[in-house]
Amino acid sequence: VTHAPQSLRLAAAPHLHAGTAVGRRLRHTLIALLPVTVFAVALFGLAALATLIVAIVACLLAERLCAPRSALGDGSALLTGLLLGLSLPPALPLWMVAVGGAVAILVGKHLFGGLGGLVFHPALVGRVFLQAAFPVAMAQGWLAPFASGRASELPGTSLAAPFMAPGAAYDGISGATPLAAARLGDGAPPIADLWMGTVAGSVGETSALLLLLGGLYLVAVRAADWRIPTALLASVAVLSGALHELDPARYPGVLTALGSGGLMLGAWFLATDSTSSPMTRSGAWIYGAAIGALVVLIRQFSGQPEGVMYALLLGSALTPHIDRWTRPRPLRSRGGR
Amino acid sequence: MFAPRPAFSGGIALPRREPRPGELAIRQMPFAPGLYLPLRQHAGRPAVPVVREGDEVMRGQLLAEADDEACVPLHAPATGRVLSIVEQPDPAGGSVQVIHLAPFPGDTQEYPGGPGCDPESASAASLLAAIRAAGIVGLGGEARPTHARLRLPPEQRVGVLVLNGIESEPVFSRVPAILREHAADVLMGVRCLLKASGAGRAVLAVEPQDADGAQSLLAAAPASLPLEPRVLPARYPQGAEELLLQVIARARGRGGGRPVEDGTLCFNLATVAELGRLLASGRCMTDQLVTLAGGALRDPGNYRVPLGTPLRFALEHAGLRPDPARVLEGGPMRGQALASLEQPITKGTTGFVALERNEAGTPEPPMPCIRCGECVTVCPLQLHPAQLGLLARKGELKAMHEEYHLDLCIECGCCAYVCPSHIPLSQLFRAAKAQWRRRQPAVAGEDAA
Repeated sequence: VTHAPQSLRLAAAPHLHAGTAVGRRLRHTLIALLPVTVFAVALFGLAALATLIVAIVACLLAERLCAPRSALGDGSALLTGLLLGLSLPPALPLWMVAVGGAVAILVGKHLFGGLGGLVFHPALVGRVFLQAAFPVAMAQGWLAPFASGRASELPGTSLAAPFMAPGAAYDGISGATPLAAARLGDGAPPIADLWMGTVAGSVGETSALLLLLGGLYLVAVRAADWRIPTALLASVAVLSGALHELDPARYPGVLTALGSGGLMLGAWFLATDSTSSPMTRSGAWIYGAAIGALVVLIRQFSGQPEGVMYALLLGSALTPHIDRWTRPRPLRSRGGR
Repeated sequence: MFAPRPAFSGGIALPRREPRPGELAIRQMPFAPGLYLPLRQHAGRPAVPVVREGDEVMRGQLLAEADDEACVPLHAPATGRVLSIVEQPDPAGGSVQVIHLAPFPGDTQEYPGGPGCDPESASAASLLAAIRAAGIVGLGGEARPTHARLRLPPEQRVGVLVLNGIESEPVFSRVPAILREHAADVLMGVRCLLKASGAGRAVLAVEPQDADGAQSLLAAAPASLPLEPRVLPARYPQGAEELLLQVIARARGRGGGRPVEDGTLCFNLATVAELGRLLASGRCMTDQLVTLAGGALRDPGNYRVPLGTPLRFALEHAGLRPDPARVLEGGPMRGQALASLEQPITKGTTGFVALERNEAGTPEPPMPCIRCGECVTVCPLQLHPAQLGLLARKGELKAMHEEYHLDLCIECGCCAYVCPSHIPLSQLFRAAKAQWRRRQPAVAGEDAA
């Protein structure tokens, strides 16, 4: 039996694929962050826009330096830059923003082995570095919402030269974020303002409502595991609710706790990062609940007004252990039943 | 009180194409001008030829006999002449003798058969002998000799027979065809297997699309036959025997069926039907029921193909278009892509898929694992594909097998199917298992020394 040779292509099974890809997750996350980004620019004007652009450009340049031919077309660096920018005070000197972006990618991502190898979310690493290196600037870079002139001029602090005292004194437009204000006994702003986002705060952390909508979108298109934010927010709600019951004057209520600080951004967009979170479903519940508990603990019982960032870092440090505790047991080697 | 637990965790919902009306009917494939019969048609030792080059043989005549318990005889699939018996490379490794048989072109190819056997009056031992003599092996692809599976040590009792009426992959359609056209053969097969194994009852496991077929089959059964259906929610890969037994043991069944206790034996529905058909008519196995599927075929469907038919002949009969992109032995999830179509249909083949260009996607380049955990969620054996994948890259065969139980992996492909980084997990596991097996004897020797 002789036949002309033909071109059958070889490939390994399976010959079908669900059609998911890493890039898809990234695209959906960027889409989900769009509303809050637009709102941030509207709220804080040029300062927010400059912060975001500098953070993103710094991340992209650092990525180009480490991985000239990135498999994702730098999509993940773009996302890291955006998340970093959204989590920073709007009037932070821009050179600090650039340093934060470079640290996020160089240290947070590539020092740990790049995509898939990282242990902490790179944006968090950048944010924590800035917090540790420039605590004063990080504590004072706030702007009042919808300040006049925000669309035409940058605050003086933004343009401060590196390693010099900021040229202008901190404009003092707004002293403190809602959490810090509550801590100082100034009273928290109305809950409606908190959720709408018309308060002082980090560039993209003020509007809990828009972040919640973005997060729900992310979960609806299955670009993030719904279990993590659910467990995280539930844990914060239960613990802060209990504390509020004990002493309403000292501890903020559930809606204030859920709507303030970096909680929504962290719960939906940072904690759900697949690489730094556990792989199993039960692990996701534990991870979310643990971070939520740490948030309340740090906010109420430490010297820091805000604890989301550190809680997320500690949670990611727990991830390998959670993965070990919740390792699936093979079907056949189960005893009994 | 509580809803029944899900049959198994993990698995995936695979798209299922509704077969066109004509596709389900079983069509007889004509005889190819040359039939090629490897003497290892099944797991175990090859059969020993009893014919010589130049001999004329009748359809159903013994060609090679079994000299070993784990072996079954091979019979002539057609009346014709033995042209040659030559040693050829075996795809499974090593080499094997292949009988080249040329059917007589003008022959009617009648196969009268002999007296059928009656399972009620026959003894279990004589049934086992008849099953072996008919050359029957497991027809779900694994091709283990059926009589050897039934012959258990006396202290081991079989409680329940499970008839696996779930396609290995949804692309195949042998089950509805058998339920429609071979209902009586299935019932005969069940009676023979119950008697031969000493099992008290049998369970027919099907997915919802075949529930009606199973019902009408049972309607035709005598009330005294202890056969009950078990409709399981459709989910790949529960047709795999390793999983099906677990699923059946856990699922309590919607009809209030009793749980299936230990001591189950599982047979593919195709095996049961063929066994019933052959023992009822006193014939021996000369052909195989095969699904030919895929967009590169004009006439896909179920064919009864004489053993030894070259695959190319079978596919061309089913209307193979000139330039298929890929031909798979087995389905798209587990099937192996073939480099050539010059292989014969054997007792171990169940189906082929010929993919067109637009069906066979080009494999995407793999990216690093992002630890999303999708593979962990879908693994039906609840292994840890992500961790196994990392270990495979590092060549940690020992950890893969001893800590992460790679030996339990059934290579269903679910992990690679969902992986957003397109890591070829099942391919890595297949290679790692083969490597580990090759190393095993050496390891055992070290231990002994």
